[in-house]
Amino acid sequence: MDREVVERVARIARLNLTEEELEKYSIDLSEILEYFQLLDEAPESKEFNFNPVEIADILREDIPSMEIPANELLKKMKTYDDFIRGPRIS
Amino acid sequence: MSSRFSLKDLEKLNSRYSIFTSLTSEKEVDAEFVFSAKDNLASKDFETRAGSKILEGYAPGFDATPIKKMRKAGGFLAGKTNMDEFGFGTFSTNSAYGIPKNPFDLNRSCGGSSGGAACIAAIIEDHVALGVSTGGSIVCPASFCGVFGISPTYGRVSRYGLVDYGNSLDKVGILSAKAANLTKYLPIIAGKDPKDPTSCVQPEMRKNLRKIKSVAIPKEAIEGISKGVMESFRSALDVLKSMSIDVEYVNMPSLKYAIPAYYVIATSEASTNLARYCGMRYGQQDGDLALKFDDYFSSIRSKYFGDEAKRRILLGTFTRMVGYADRYYNKALQVREIIIVEYKNIFKTHDAIVTPTMPFVSPRFDEISKMSALQSYKADFLTVPPNISGTPHLSVPCGYSDGMPVGMQFIADHWNEDLLLSAATEWEKAFDIRHPEVKL
Repeated sequence: MDREVVERVARIARLNLTEEELEKYSIDLSEILEYFQLLDEAPESKEFNFNPVEIADILREDIPSMEIPANELLKKMKTYDDFIRGPRIS
Repeated sequence: MSSRFSLKDLEKLNSRYSIFTSLTSEKEVDAEFVFSAKDNLASKDFETRAGSKILEGYAPGFDATPIKKMRKAGGFLAGKTNMDEFGFGTFSTNSAYGIPKNPFDLNRSCGGSSGGAACIAAIIEDHVALGVSTGGSIVCPASFCGVFGISPTYGRVSRYGLVDYGNSLDKVGILSAKAANLTKYLPIIAGKDPKDPTSCVQPEMRKNLRKIKSVAIPKEAIEGISKGVMESFRSALDVLKSMSIDVEYVNMPSLKYAIPAYYVIATSEASTNLARYCGMRYGQQDGDLALKFDDYFSSIRSKYFGDEAKRRILLGTFTRMVGYADRYYNKALQVREIIIVEYKNIFKTHDAIVTPTMPFVSPRFDEISKMSALQSYKADFLTVPPNISGTPHLSVPCGYSDGMPVGMQFIADHWNEDLLLSAATEWEKAFDIRHPEVKL
């Protein structure tokens, strides 16, 4: 994976990489992806799932509940007037 | 029965072995039993940092379901055990909070990623350690530290309160020096939990444990194994035969695709899971809020994620990108299906599969530091197949090479943990297990 691709992927993943990191990950990921070419020769399967065992949709009863009070959760966050503070959106 | 311990003992052990990321403040404890939990399981009373700087300061205020169940059964949570950051590693060298040292040799790794869990299980005979496995993170450290470790079927134990690595792969299990602790405590943490729908399809665990009568060894799983491990494994097979267990060699051609398929699925899932760590809500929130949101998120993530976390985020983001997803992610899911089908075919005629757990004994830290990322990924080639397929698996101590423990891995079909629990019990009777000499 060349440095430009690593840079593009890092931008998507919200990571700022140093020159040294760009160089290192470019080498590492190239080696890893070259090994992953094994997948190209692997047999195909028409059926496959996103989980290794069968999963059913289990829905809970529609009863409102709150195990941890909101004010407890807010204690661990940056807040202003009980609102969570975040960065600028524009 | 009670388990007494003194905090001073644990503190001394911790200063020497870097077992815990946080310890109880109780001075003396009298409990039914004492347990620890890997630091990616949310817990009251302790921070939950999953080996990462980015989660420093995160105090969840609730117990993950397995911890809640252990406490309800009379257990006292002594502390949170050290681990590779978010579970990303084979040697527990990727923790932001020190590196656990092997109790058989301080210059060697405990294995990963549940390294602290295996270490304390090896040192304190009665101890029950909750571990978590995504690609082998229970059986690998169990093998390196010479203890029993069981990773149950995917969905057997609720993942509620677990810091996600790979949602379709993560499993909570147990490590202990005593096989009886696996048999006693796995049923306690298992069971349906409405808070984790993937736990709600499971059949009940069998209470009458069936004995294993026949095992299969995939020929592909005994290639590239070190001489010392292979010698111990062959001797262990003789012990199995002396226990009237049939041993047969089989072919399993899909095994060679397991590593790339696993790392594609695991990093794809990890890269989306780790998107939530952006300096809001959890852990570190010390960024400059005057920054635009993209710059704020990037600054926090770049500062606090460790080297391996960044590598896996990059890899997983790439393999999901438009134009690459079919080649990598979708193909990896197909390979997973093929591995499951091959396992099921073997389980038609055999109760379990056995292999060495790891291809070598625990390496020294200077050897680990010379390994490339790919070399360390490839070290997982025996533990990844049962993890990608969600099948339950167990490591038992089966020999010693250069004074270091060797592990043997048993793999059973989905939901057949009872076969593994009985295997651990029977093996403990047949094999002379050594314990590390640890002086307080």
